[in-house]
Amino acid sequence: METIRSDVAAWESYGFSAEASERKSAREHLVQQLGHCADHAGLSKGLRALTDYVSASHYLLIRHDVSPEAGLEAVVASDWPFDTVRGVAGAVIAGQSRMSELDKCLALLKPRFCYLSEEAALPPGVSREYCVIAFQVGRVRMSLLLLFPEHFILSQSKLRDVGVMTGYFASVCCQGAIARQDREMDLTEREIECLSWIAEGKTSDEVAVILGISRNTINNYITSVMRKTATKTRSEAIAWAVRNSLV
Amino acid sequence: MNMQLPASAGMEAEIRLARPQKAVRASDFVSRLQMMRTVIGAEHFALLRVGGRGLPATRKLALSLHNWAQDIDGNARALLEAYGPAMLAHLEESMLPLLWEGAGDNQFAGTGAELFTTRLPARLLPWSGIAFPVRLGANGNGYVVFMGSFIAPSSDLIVDMHMKSCQVLVDMLAGEEKKLAPAEALSERETACLQMAGDGCISEAIAEKMGLSVHTVNAYLGTATTKLDAVNRIQAIAKAIRLGYIT
Repeated sequence: METIRSDVAAWESYGFSAEASERKSAREHLVQQLGHCADHAGLSKGLRALTDYVSASHYLLIRHDVSPEAGLEAVVASDWPFDTVRGVAGAVIAGQSRMSELDKCLALLKPRFCYLSEEAALPPGVSREYCVIAFQVGRVRMSLLLLFPEHFILSQSKLRDVGVMTGYFASVCCQGAIARQDREMDLTEREIECLSWIAEGKTSDEVAVILGISRNTINNYITSVMRKTATKTRSEAIAWAVRNSLV
Repeated sequence: MNMQLPASAGMEAEIRLARPQKAVRASDFVSRLQMMRTVIGAEHFALLRVGGRGLPATRKLALSLHNWAQDIDGNARALLEAYGPAMLAHLEESMLPLLWEGAGDNQFAGTGAELFTTRLPARLLPWSGIAFPVRLGANGNGYVVFMGSFIAPSSDLIVDMHMKSCQVLVDMLAGEEKKLAPAEALSERETACLQMAGDGCISEAIAEKMGLSVHTVNAYLGTATTKLDAVNRIQAIAKAIRLGYIT
């Protein structure tokens, strides 16, 4: 099997063979533990186990589908000190939403390191650097932010494991929370259909012909979308729809 | 590397590409998928990607890469008819791998992490299988599917394979988006105007903020529209967000 040999080098960098035997048991143990948490102990215990797995000290799980103004609404679970969360959550979330759609897609499950501002109050001995891993639970994008002790280096491959397993764990544990806040459900199918044609550059008249309804109806749909999404212009409404991957 | 080669690996299936125009890049992905298939102990792999924008109802999965030697259309149709709609719905709400058992004797699909997999109805297809959902965000979503008569990866292997599946789709998306880049890069002012238009400003407001005349702003938006190969300002904004020029 030539394919295997030629690819071994590339795969080893984020893969198994190197420390397979040593890591295998740890990962399987973690999955078992998470299974137990999903059944009985709950979200915090599971996140604690994931945090311990990478030897980090504190976790913060946020979701990106709520508007940046909503602030703490976006925080799903955390054991960061409350003042730190209140101080940084808004900034962190806003920073994430400034990334382009494509960059977000390409950054999935890749651990990134960022710095907290000087003012943020931190527990003693914890580094100002923190690690972010983003993943998608269905339509909802979430990020796990990890604090870790100063002068500590986290294992890249373990961080990637944690990305996938937090995704699994959140798929099981946060299902209720995710279904509740679905903004997409606010818009009707017809409204989204109009939006997607307009995003393709069609005018109201053209969309009217395509959908076989009057131009005024189209304009009413768009007005109602702008009202529901609190956008001021048609351009902003389309931009909103693209950002939320509706079109 | 300690891996079990399934009996069928000997009669190495001929690799065919569903999209010949991307053969150069595709062959690289095929060899990675072949290796994953071997490690997981399956006979076939298939990479499905979500096509179409807009309403979930208008999106569908299409076969992108595979290693079926014969009756490709039949196999693809069988897979998509049996599980296509369930897969698309699952991609909207969860990250858990999908697992199914095939029809007939000697078929087995099981894992070391039952809680973190979702079972599909059994006995719809002649083979068992496991499908890893990959949701990157707005673009490039899909499934990596492995099929065979005996699918029993450990939880350790599942996490690893899921990570690699994500990486394959991320790399595919990265390769494609390079080709989508517009012929001419947007200037700083064009980008700034587009960004403000996307944020709901009318031309007059943009002109005031930038200290330009309304006509100049409209001219910038016009050239940006041409460069992005869009028909009007709204489509230009939609494209600019998707391509990452503005957020």
